[in-house]
Amino acid sequence: MNRREFLTVSTTAVAVGALLNPSALVRAAENQTGLKNARISYFAARPGSRSRDVAFAPDGAVWYCGQRDGTLTRLDPENGSLHAVSLGEGAAPHGVVLGPDNAFWVTEGGQNAIARLDPATDNVDLIPLPTEFSRANLNTGTFDLQGIYWFTGQNGVYGRVDPKTSAIEVWASPGGRGPYGITVTPSGEVWYASLAGSHIAQIDRVSGSARMVQPPTPKQGARRIWADSRSRLWVSEWNSGQVSVFDPETSDWKTWKLPGDAPRAYSVYVDEHDGIWLTDFGANAIVHFDPDTEIFTSFPSDMPNANVRQMAGRPGEAWGGESGTDRLVRIQFDPA
Amino acid sequence: MLLLILGPWGVTFAADIEDLTEQGRIAFEPCLSCHALDRSTSGMPGPNLAGLIGRPVAGDTGYAYSPVLRAAGDRGLTWTPGRLKQFLADPEAMFPGMWMSYQGIKDEREQESLAGFIAGHK
Repeated sequence: MNRREFLTVSTTAVAVGALLNPSALVRAAENQTGLKNARISYFAARPGSRSRDVAFAPDGAVWYCGQRDGTLTRLDPENGSLHAVSLGEGAAPHGVVLGPDNAFWVTEGGQNAIARLDPATDNVDLIPLPTEFSRANLNTGTFDLQGIYWFTGQNGVYGRVDPKTSAIEVWASPGGRGPYGITVTPSGEVWYASLAGSHIAQIDRVSGSARMVQPPTPKQGARRIWADSRSRLWVSEWNSGQVSVFDPETSDWKTWKLPGDAPRAYSVYVDEHDGIWLTDFGANAIVHFDPDTEIFTSFPSDMPNANVRQMAGRPGEAWGGESGTDRLVRIQFDPA
Repeated sequence: MLLLILGPWGVTFAADIEDLTEQGRIAFEPCLSCHALDRSTSGMPGPNLAGLIGRPVAGDTGYAYSPVLRAAGDRGLTWTPGRLKQFLADPEAMFPGMWMSYQGIKDEREQESLAGFIAGHK
């Protein structure tokens, strides 16, 4: 780490979050560097849902996993309305991603299955894992550039589903327990992060084998992973409270510690400008990192125990689910 | 020898305990992604659970806990077999806003076997 600066966003509550959504609180962020005109809004999720991972529909809606109420729920950010779809008895969805078929694909840990929800009909199909992979502790999924769905399970598995046939293949991960976040790069590679294994791994999309790569910090707890526009891998490190970047072209790593006394980097997301968004449980904050200036800008939640476990976004917006407050959070921004 | 003295009822009882222990071991498998039961293991994503019973909540001194669990420990809460079983049934209900996202176990026998398995690692 060569240089690091840290700014806490000075915020002023300026308005109740639009007349359209009384539950949203909009705050104006000023004086931060790395992004301009950041505005934070909060949206109520279903009470007790423990809203977590989010994905976006083409119609502008945001769908989130209700890990505690067993639903995938649609939020209309225009008016704050919610539409919940049950994923079945005992459901406890963890991750969600929009597929090329315009359906949502869910790592449905409660039923040890991949769930596919068609938002046009609310129909839910389940693709169970093979019986030898019971209790996989399903985690996160992503689609590669050929439209194949890849997923992880914390109990030491990863796998894929061909959406055309629903055929599922599952492998034991080479490093044992831990596979957590997963991403696909612009160049088409599939990588996952292993929390318990403290490594990242590239999956060979043909053979299904995985090649482990060790970050420089031992026992760092690589939790989530996201690719930037140059196919570099950004990794949030839970145990070390760091963010790291790995360049597969050069095998070089670079690492930065998040600000604060005891950071816990849970999730990472890379926006369309290659801005890095992290969630820090130690600071109860979303943190933006500008790799060019090496400046962190922190956006603390206005409630305790926000616990944002995943972030995702679309142009000009970064989103997360505050699993500890049953809300979704949106940060709108302009490019710096 | 003990089993012979107790007769068939005793054999059933001993087998039941063995069965519970095995159930507990299986139930703990997903927990191993974050927790260790061996005192010498450190650097896991979650706290070490060896010697949990009798320990204050948030009592692994080598682990940085969530504010929710730290507050519970500050209130003087300790882990008892009963509290552990209740926790495993619905962790979020006992400590809302904690960092661990675990849905809990509905089946009472599985709660009991997992609680017993964890408690057995001193």
